Amino acid sequence: LLAEETFLDDDFLRQLMNVGEVDLLIGIPSHNNVATIGTTVEAVEESFQQNFVRERVVTVNVDAGSRDGTVELFLNAAVRKNANGRGLTSLRTEHRVATRYPHTVLPGQVCRVILSAAELVRAKACAVISPVSSNVTPSWIASLLKPAYREKIDFVAPLYSRHKYDGLLGRNLLYPMTRATFGRRLRELRPTEYAFSGQFASYCLNQDVWHEEEIAASPETWMAVYSFCSDFRVSQAFLGKKMHAVTSSGTDIVAAVRQSVGALFWCMESQQSVWMGRTGSEAIPTTGPDHELTTEPQRLNRKRIFELFRSGVAELEGILKSVLSPETHAEIRRIATLDEKNFRLGGELWTRTAFEFAAAYHRAVLNRDHLIQALVPLYRGRIYSFLLEHNESSPEEIEADTEALCLEFERQKPYLIERWNAKE
Amino acid sequence: VAEQGRSLWYKDAVIYQLHVRTFCDSNDDGIGDFPGLIQKLDYLQELGINAIWLMPFFPSPLRDDGYDTSDYFNVHPSYGTLDDFKKFLTAAHQRGIRIIIELVLNHTSDQHPWFQEARSSRENPKRDWYVWSETDDRYKEARIIFLDTEMSNWAWDPISKSYYWHRFFSHQPDLNFDNPAVFEMMWQAMKFWLDIGVDGFRLDAVPYLAEREGTSCENLPETHAIVREFRRRLDQAYPEAMLLAEANQWPADVRAYFAEGDEFHMAFHFPLMPRMFMAVQLEDRKPIIEILEQTPQIPDACQWCIFLRNHDELTLEMVTDVERDYMYDEYAKDKAMRLNAGIRRRLAPMMDNDRRRIQLLNVLLMSMPGTPIIYYGDEIGMGDNVYLGDRNGVRTPMQWNGGWNGGFSRADPERLYSPPISNPVYGYQAINVDSQQRSPHSLLSWMKSLIAIRKSSRVFSRGTIEFLRPSNHRVLAYVRQLGEEKILVVNNLAASAQAVELDLRHYKGYIPIEMVGRNLFPRIGEVPYLLTLGPYHSYAFRLRRI
Repeated sequence: LLAEETFLDDDFLRQLMNVGEVDLLIGIPSHNNVATIGTTVEAVEESFQQNFVRERVVTVNVDAGSRDGTVELFLNAAVRKNANGRGLTSLRTEHRVATRYPHTVLPGQVCRVILSAAELVRAKACAVISPVSSNVTPSWIASLLKPAYREKIDFVAPLYSRHKYDGLLGRNLLYPMTRATFGRRLRELRPTEYAFSGQFASYCLNQDVWHEEEIAASPETWMAVYSFCSDFRVSQAFLGKKMHAVTSSGTDIVAAVRQSVGALFWCMESQQSVWMGRTGSEAIPTTGPDHELTTEPQRLNRKRIFELFRSGVAELEGILKSVLSPETHAEIRRIATLDEKNFRLGGELWTRTAFEFAAAYHRAVLNRDHLIQALVPLYRGRIYSFLLEHNESSPEEIEADTEALCLEFERQKPYLIERWNAKE
Repeated sequence: VAEQGRSLWYKDAVIYQLHVRTFCDSNDDGIGDFPGLIQKLDYLQELGINAIWLMPFFPSPLRDDGYDTSDYFNVHPSYGTLDDFKKFLTAAHQRGIRIIIELVLNHTSDQHPWFQEARSSRENPKRDWYVWSETDDRYKEARIIFLDTEMSNWAWDPISKSYYWHRFFSHQPDLNFDNPAVFEMMWQAMKFWLDIGVDGFRLDAVPYLAEREGTSCENLPETHAIVREFRRRLDQAYPEAMLLAEANQWPADVRAYFAEGDEFHMAFHFPLMPRMFMAVQLEDRKPIIEILEQTPQIPDACQWCIFLRNHDELTLEMVTDVERDYMYDEYAKDKAMRLNAGIRRRLAPMMDNDRRRIQLLNVLLMSMPGTPIIYYGDEIGMGDNVYLGDRNGVRTPMQWNGGWNGGFSRADPERLYSPPISNPVYGYQAINVDSQQRSPHSLLSWMKSLIAIRKSSRVFSRGTIEFLRPSNHRVLAYVRQLGEEKILVVNNLAASAQAVELDLRHYKGYIPIEMVGRNLFPRIGEVPYLLTLGPYHSYAFRLRRI
């Protein structure tokens, strides 16, 4: 491996050599996270001290060109000591290892470094924790790592309690699409915190995918999907409420769709032999306390979302025409003429739209990145419709709607296969 | 200043701890004795030790291996006579070996005439030599030490119909040091043995001398005052004599027993010992470094006493619950190995008889700050017998040869005070002094060279310690320094070979000379100094500027 994998620099390798074999590895990707990296590493080490006192542990920071002192803070954040200064807080040395790129790099490259580190130190279980989540707690890390380390689960996805307008891409597209195609009910396809076994880390590292743009953009989506495409054991761990250090903006939505939908479509493309024959869907074992997945809302700028939908449908007409069926395209154009109050992009039309995009991606009717970007305005239309419909809905009603959408995706799966296999 | 004009011999000592009963039987009664011990002094001299700590040998009913004294001014008849002891003392001194004896200040046996008098009537003059109460609810904050056997620190005396105070076994009533007559009597006992020629005392159970309501009855100011007065008298009359404290406490609490250099000369560093074992099992230096970082500075004339194993269980009182659980899981999987809050095993079995691990721990013992104590038999890797009850499993006869009773005694085996170890791995047929003396590569021979290295430089006994912190946590490296003399010690705590880069820029220009083979290593420069170490391997380098 060392001879081939020259993407690990010598200093990083030397640090890993000194760490030696470990039981647990935590990877923290970072990019200008000085505001939160300190609390993140504290939470990680506190979790070690509370839950893994005997284990050999290392925390690896892979930094994508921070200029705000993130890495320095990671390395120098204070270690918690026993209050009375007597005895050890944990039995072993808790290593911190950092490597940094001088410039911004894609998430896939960061992920690959973490997986390589895991393989080199022969970690039995690993977790990736993002400093973007501003409320990481020691119990999060324990909830993710314990199934991977003690129960030999290969991929542990998080399950967050989100306010009803948070995670809309997952709720409206990624979750229903994955559930319908791959037949597994995994809620978070874009996790910023997740865990995996050392075995799964090696498996992922050795797949010939790292040059793929889609994987480079959203490796966690690929890992999640691949975990249930093969015979790996998958579970979800409920972590509680998730808070972001930065608020999502319009630009983030474009990027999120490009990255995660791109990765999902790529997985569908590469794993069609797996999902084509699957019908229905199976629940994934979930650990953690009783939980509510949906909580109270935050305010969103709905008017702007609707305007972006309308302008997108108009500007991208040529592209949409080549992607969508005439009936679907006509319906999209029709609803784009409706006024704000009467607008609706319902589950049936949305499912059909998403499937036609997936099939077009498969058939490569045009540049795949352009194709996925063309989905963004339609996704905004779906979100606007969702917000309109659920303005007064309770968390339970939102969950019921999500379930109904998933069932619609599952119901129309034959249509997806038909479009997928169509020869044009 | 207290230390001026003194040799501070105890700082440079390598102490060998033994019980006369266990060492050599000269009169074939199955019990070791002083004439037998005299026969073995040449062996101890050859080993290289220069002090012996004798466990209790005063008259006693032996319900606690002599820690239940019934006469402070004589020798237990099983071990010989007072005259035998004097001969032993002279012979030891002729060989340059100092003698430290045990003095149990805190309590006596309930068979001691003082206690018999005290309990005989409430009006007896000796009554106030012990701590009595009409109820058993005084001093409730005091913990019970022997949790496995005692329910209370008070015991009912059916003769005088009242309760007496005991911090240890109920047959060991505590003396009342609030009574000046008790103090004076114990001083007379000290003087008695010092006049004969002993070099120091290991004072047993020191923290418990005084009792006060509303306290833990440990480490009280009144206890320190008692110790200070003993020390003052000692300094006046016997300035070369040494006091060693048994205070199983955290270093910060033990520190008070050094005071301003006017209480104890030495004290055991109890928390370091389990952490040396922990570090080797974890393959991680963290436990050792953290406990030494939590260890306060002590006056120049004072010294810590460090040890790997002794006559008691490997005490786990001074560790956290997490650490204790780990030690039990790793070193005492069989419940029979556990006693009180500790592990009743010897060094070699704890190390799975791995010669490399035994050596590593001994290197740590000899190179850490403090005066090292070797427990008898550990220099040849003796085993234990956890089925003997209490702590008797680590107090079995010394194994001198592969013959009758391992050379310990010519008595019938049934008559021995304890069955010798006789299993195929650790039995006297396999592990004994004779066979190891024949081989230059035996553990015994290796121990001799290690002790010789330790004694070759006062850096080990008096020098400062500075930990190096290479990135490889499996390597424990430190520099000991005294004046211009410097010694670098590097230990691989792991079962696998390790490479380590040491930042030795501070010693640029020095040449490391390996202390066993006296080979020169490359001169230290600006770049990290690379060393590779085999499993559990150690290096000690004298750093010379040539």
